Amino acid sequence: MIYIIDHKDSFTHNVVHQFENFDDVYCDNFNDIKQSKLNKAKVVVFSPGPGSPKDYPNSSKIYKELKGKKKIIGICLGFQQILYCERGKIVQQNKIYHGYQSKVKVTGNNSLFKKNQKFTVGRYHSLKLQEPFAAKNFEITMRCDISHTAMAIENNIDKIYGFQFHPESFLTENGNLLIKKILSA
Amino acid sequence: MTKLDHLKEITESKKPFIIYKSNKGFDLFTNFSKKIILTNKNIKNFINNVSKNKSKRKDTDLFIGFFGYEILNNLIGVKIKKQKAIKFPKGIFYKPEKKIKLSTRLNYKPIESIRFNKNFKVNLNQDSYSNIFNKFKKKIKSGETYQIKICTKYKNATQIDALDFFCRLTKTNIAPEAFMIKDKNYSIISCSPENLITKKKNFITTKPIAGTLKKTNKLNKAKALAFFKKNIKETKEHNMIVDMERSDLSKICKSGSVKIIKKKTVEEYKDLYHYVSLIGGKLKEKVSSLDIIKAMMPGGSVIGCPKISTLNLLNTQEKEGRNIYTGSFGYINFNGDMRFNIIIRSILNYQNYSEISVASGVVIDSNAKHEFNENYIKAKALMDLYK
Repeated sequence: MIYIIDHKDSFTHNVVHQFENFDDVYCDNFNDIKQSKLNKAKVVVFSPGPGSPKDYPNSSKIYKELKGKKKIIGICLGFQQILYCERGKIVQQNKIYHGYQSKVKVTGNNSLFKKNQKFTVGRYHSLKLQEPFAAKNFEITMRCDISHTAMAIENNIDKIYGFQFHPESFLTENGNLLIKKILSA
Repeated sequence: MTKLDHLKEITESKKPFIIYKSNKGFDLFTNFSKKIILTNKNIKNFINNVSKNKSKRKDTDLFIGFFGYEILNNLIGVKIKKQKAIKFPKGIFYKPEKKIKLSTRLNYKPIESIRFNKNFKVNLNQDSYSNIFNKFKKKIKSGETYQIKICTKYKNATQIDALDFFCRLTKTNIAPEAFMIKDKNYSIISCSPENLITKKKNFITTKPIAGTLKKTNKLNKAKALAFFKKNIKETKEHNMIVDMERSDLSKICKSGSVKIIKKKTVEEYKDLYHYVSLIGGKLKEKVSSLDIIKAMMPGGSVIGCPKISTLNLLNTQEKEGRNIYTGSFGYINFNGDMRFNIIIRSILNYQNYSEISVASGVVIDSNAKHEFNENYIKAKALMDLYK
């Protein structure tokens, strides 16, 4: 079972439907966590959402508790939530991407995806990861083809994955493939 | 009997009535046997009870009416602080006993001529609009909202002849979701172009509009489409709404069934082109009418995105109640089928006051002056009726 923590976003149920292609999904609000369900889940997903990771201390707490114990996936805000918990700095961008389609490129050497492969993806984010960023076992594996902003992270030891873009958006091509790959990793 | 007679007859009878755009013309509903004024307390029971019967025998086996903005917020747990309010009901539904089909051309001569007051006052001047605009832009930069619609309201003290207004309005602009309500103490006239819910059996669609282009001699449909596709701001706004509506439908639809049926097409109206998508899905078993309404309302395209945090931002900013504006008008059949629009481009006349609310979107690359004028243009189409 996959537990999706909803940060009250208007895209969360697209995420739910996408993950339902692969397993049973339970989804509830970040401020209303069902502990017994969370315990049973094999995978925990941090949803997109408004605001910034510091606004969701409860989600940070859950991340820290579950790190290394369950597979963790973060999307957009969820991606930033993971980085924030790993001492990454989340900052405002000069150029803001809302409803934007762009190309990302696989840049990581140890990624599940083929190096230099490009994906067309949908983006909804005001904030981004400020670099340099370094955390044990984490690698930035995809970047915006133009701005080089960090677009995906992988930690294949602790099984933690994140996308700054939205694999569930209709603007993303082959979004299901991306999710399938990290779920079977 | 000709259509002229129906309209004359209904006016002379002084009975309350409703007219709603149908596929081929208009439907007139009257002889109301029940009128339900909605409150935060009775709304859930009302919605659940309408479709309890499961069968629809007559074409009047339905409740028709509207949900105001505030009651829809309350329904999804979004609280609105105390605002200036005119004590207009939060929602009203009627059970009609008579339905008459009318053609597209509505002809009606007012019985008595009323002198309208055509001077409107706007509740926000350009400076205060710009202030709010800049405040919301900061919220976009910090990621609290991605798109937000600021509402301005034009008001005046006057009587109106609602049917006359509606007939004149539909002569120049046949909007697919146009409707009017005439009751004893209020009337609503709307040329809404936007369908929020069409539900037949287990299939549901929504048809968001995001993107408007004023017609000129040089434009045609193909050129309008090229304009929208090339215009990054319009494209981004539209994309956002499509993903949001997909997500709203996904709450109540079977997994994998939500599809974009028409992606980014152009619809042509008398004065303008709209950038429109059609999204649909198959409802899950055991989804109630209330579940559907809570998932879809208030309609996202006129609020902004993400819905909940954007509603909260709007509600702390807006000092005056929105009343019907960005609520929904439509009907629920006894068998659970329904059709609802989004109430925009509308006039509410209550206690001899008219109000026209309009809104336009703030995204990161919007310009305050442009959007303020855009609001004025939208309102002007309705204010012109007061001549």
